[in-house]
Amino acid sequence: MPLDAAGLLQFVIAGLKNGAIYALVALGFTIVYAATNVINFAQGEFYMLGGMLGVFYFKALGLPLALVVPASVLTTACIGVLVEILFIRPRKDAEPMPLIIITVGVSMLLASLSRHVFGSDELPLPFFSEGGSFSVGGAAIERQTLWIWGLTLVAVVALTFLYGRTRLGLAMRATMANREAARLMGIDTAWIVMLSFGMAALLGALAGVAVTPLTQTRFDIGTGIAIKGFAAAVLGGLGSPLAAVAGGLVLGLVESLSIALLSSSVQGSSIYKDAIAIAVLLLVLFLRPQGLFRRASREKA
Amino acid sequence: MTVRRRPDRNEVLSIALVAAGLIAVVLIPFVVTDRYLLRIFTLVGINLILVTGLCLLFGYTGQVSLGHAAFAGLGAYGSAYLLLAGWPWLVAVACGVALASVGGLLLAMPSLRLKGHYLAMATLGFGEIMFVFFDNAEWFTGGSDGLQGIPPASLGGLTVTTPEGNFWLVWAFASAALLLVGNVVRLRPGRALRAIHGSEMGASACGIDTVRLKIQVFVISAGLAGLAGALSASYIGSLSPSSFTLHRSVVYLTMVALGGPGSLAGSAVATVLLTLLPFADAVIPGITTSAAATLQDWEPDIYGLVLILVMLLMPRGISGVLSSAARRIGLGGSAPERPVGEASTP
Amino acid sequence: MTRRDPFCAMFLVVALLGGALTGCASSGDTGDKGATSKEPIKIGAVLSLTGAQAGLGTPEQNAIKMEVQRINDAGGINRRPLEVLIEDDATNVDQAVAATTKLIERESVVAVIGSSGTGQSMAMRGDIDKAGVPQVALASGTDITANFDKLVFQTPWTPKLIAPLTLEYIKSQGLTKVGLISEDTGFGKDGRKWVQDLAGDYGLTIVADEVFKVSDTDMTPQLTVLKGKGAQVVLLWSSVAASAIVPKNMAQLNMDVPLVGCHGIARQEFIDGAAGTAEGVTTFAGKVLAPETYGVGTDQYKAATDFVDRYTKTYGKAPDHFAGHAYDALYLIVDAAKRLNGDFTPAQLRDAIEQTKGFPGIGGVFTFSGSDHNGMTANDIVRYRVDGGKWVLAK
Repeated sequence: MPLDAAGLLQFVIAGLKNGAIYALVALGFTIVYAATNVINFAQGEFYMLGGMLGVFYFKALGLPLALVVPASVLTTACIGVLVEILFIRPRKDAEPMPLIIITVGVSMLLASLSRHVFGSDELPLPFFSEGGSFSVGGAAIERQTLWIWGLTLVAVVALTFLYGRTRLGLAMRATMANREAARLMGIDTAWIVMLSFGMAALLGALAGVAVTPLTQTRFDIGTGIAIKGFAAAVLGGLGSPLAAVAGGLVLGLVESLSIALLSSSVQGSSIYKDAIAIAVLLLVLFLRPQGLFRRASREKA
Repeated sequence: MTVRRRPDRNEVLSIALVAAGLIAVVLIPFVVTDRYLLRIFTLVGINLILVTGLCLLFGYTGQVSLGHAAFAGLGAYGSAYLLLAGWPWLVAVACGVALASVGGLLLAMPSLRLKGHYLAMATLGFGEIMFVFFDNAEWFTGGSDGLQGIPPASLGGLTVTTPEGNFWLVWAFASAALLLVGNVVRLRPGRALRAIHGSEMGASACGIDTVRLKIQVFVISAGLAGLAGALSASYIGSLSPSSFTLHRSVVYLTMVALGGPGSLAGSAVATVLLTLLPFADAVIPGITTSAAATLQDWEPDIYGLVLILVMLLMPRGISGVLSSAARRIGLGGSAPERPVGEASTP
Repeated sequence: MTRRDPFCAMFLVVALLGGALTGCASSGDTGDKGATSKEPIKIGAVLSLTGAQAGLGTPEQNAIKMEVQRINDAGGINRRPLEVLIEDDATNVDQAVAATTKLIERESVVAVIGSSGTGQSMAMRGDIDKAGVPQVALASGTDITANFDKLVFQTPWTPKLIAPLTLEYIKSQGLTKVGLISEDTGFGKDGRKWVQDLAGDYGLTIVADEVFKVSDTDMTPQLTVLKGKGAQVVLLWSSVAASAIVPKNMAQLNMDVPLVGCHGIARQEFIDGAAGTAEGVTTFAGKVLAPETYGVGTDQYKAATDFVDRYTKTYGKAPDHFAGHAYDALYLIVDAAKRLNGDFTPAQLRDAIEQTKGFPGIGGVFTFSGSDHNGMTANDIVRYRVDGGKWVLAK
């Protein structure tokens, strides 16, 4: 029995909500990759830390929500910078492989440190604004979803402004295009790399803290979101922030609509929902590694 | 092509070492009477099989696999399914290994065109999707509760139920795996592999079919992982998807990284150390149960740190440390393997 | 890599293992456990203290620790001290097996309590059978005792008792279309099967049957399907922390239908995790949340109120029925051991446990037999409702 229009709309809304989250996480991957050629496996942990620190600031320190969000996001950004300084910078001259392994190690370390500090329970955050869901065309839109969309929009606009209108943005774009040339031109690429990690952490944390009121946070949620964020980044095309956002939204929609299709026709099949993003990742890697929105380049071996 | 000549000092030493090793392996169960300890040592053997294959992959073709636990899972579930259906043990295990190898082939073929980190992500994606399969495909894997009552090993009518028997069985396979991989390395494929690691373009230019070779290595490493999984399934008697997670894949990767690229000896040592880590209180006197519990609690942190620190501070891993020591003692041997990641152009 | 490597490898491995074993040889392995009657009675417990079922394992551990202390303060069992060694299985089937192996082979326990989860409890059976050590499971799966193993006992109620009561209640509310949502574990699958099999007997139709993983954080896809198929009531079969997300998601989706859950949600953490969306939720569970239902003045009432008092004093909050299941498991073993008076083998302990008749436990009155190792009836279960952020007896 197929879903009715309201049910379908519900799934579309869910897809766009998740898509915004994936977009933020994908942006993080893309920004770091563009500056360093490294896939930062710890990107998922930045997302987790955003939520975790949010809970910490809210419950342990009693800060009001309006402060909690910027506090947790900025703290995570600092952690991102610290990670770069401690673990990436010493070997950034190396081939990608050791750096990948290092970021895998960082990912594991951050997650387990988080368990020691914050415990292994699921932790909640209250919604950013009180009130129930809005009803649109028979489907419900949670207020928190509007927050997520709003914050994502702000982030994307800010990034676009940064890249397009500021000297710093120009320097970052130059570094992305050709790191050696940028360095020769006098751009402090070390600083750019550090900034990239900080920004990626900030964006990941923003996604994390914005979604925690809906899903609760836990020390081990990083890996799951990292895979989806990476799938989104690769789907769009690594290296281009706009492609990352597009990839995120597309992945969110594809995932949600696939679930809608499957679960309305096959009973109990929604437990496979996590596999959809992974399948997309594998398909993109095997069939079109440059992503949907970029031309084929030297991505293949 | 090889000319018959008198065995040189190195070869004599090799043969002596392997003989000593085999004798020691056979003797261990007579000296270690504690069943629990023997069980731990058996687990070391199982891990060693998988890590040996991974070491071949990583050290020789420079490929990182973040999903190798999935191949262990294929071997485990494949053989368990047949064993529960009453098939003979050796055949079931062979089928499990075959399933894992086929899985490796199917992954390797489209993936090996991909560049470094894309390949890593492909293996990660494969590992994750296999986990979803293991966790949900109740008809084959029993879903999240897994499979129980898997029959133990039996060869020619004799069932292996004693701790000693299982120890010898597993270590027979482990020795065979070590020797197999050692020989692959020694013969022409090995030289070809080293050439690929040095410079893939150069190797190609010499007429080596690099892609085919890389695929073969991947399949062997997947098959070995499958063997480890199959042995584990009938040894422990039960299976659950939580043995085949990303975390486990990273654990195996850590053993290889800690061992040092391309060094079986290093990987072996690293495997022993890291496998024994959670059982520290059983193995080292003077470590209390609560200290061991703390160690277990901090295990993921330790693994994360090991991965980071090895890559930052001792990229040649344990084997680098051992080689330097050996050279200082005068045991000679080839120059240390160039660590993963340093520029390959002279 | 040199030619020598694999051989070096073998040698080094063996050397290391040899070093390790000489270390242990000096620490001495299992000396013979003297047969003197003053030797402690060692019981093992495999509990889910971390992971998805930590909400079950923690109260279980609390209850056990508190009672062991009390037993030893009172002189132990026939003047032998009681030692309960607790291992965490992290809601993980493999770790449950490994923990059981360790407790049996290394600590030589005479009985094993656990696990908190059905999957884990079933997996432990292999080691239990091999060693002939009795197991008292704290999990609810029907198979634990229906798939009969003479060594395995079970203290929680199974869906066999809970499902009929739940379906009867739904029917009595005039509802016919049931939207089922369950967790993807042995426990969830078990309940799901019972509901599917029995629904027709109560004139109920299962219009949607969705499943969620214990690590899921968003059940809106599943609930959207339930809503779309016209469910008049949502029946939730889960005991993990994620179960609290269901009422939250229902509120998010503006789903205005009643929510009924199995005994797995009869925990304060469920209500807290639902952050205000759990008002009016119904469940069926044992009497410990409303001790007056034991019958004021009976043995059960006295034992239960005493337990509730002590637990509340020790841990600052009232015990739930998970703590009760652990209490029951411990005392069933202790009671059996007391009757044996002196040394005993695990096999004798098993026999003594099986001979338990009319034991007044927290979860119910236990009477075991050669074919019934669960020992309770529907009389041991009552209905509760969430009212003002707490579980309250429903009239």
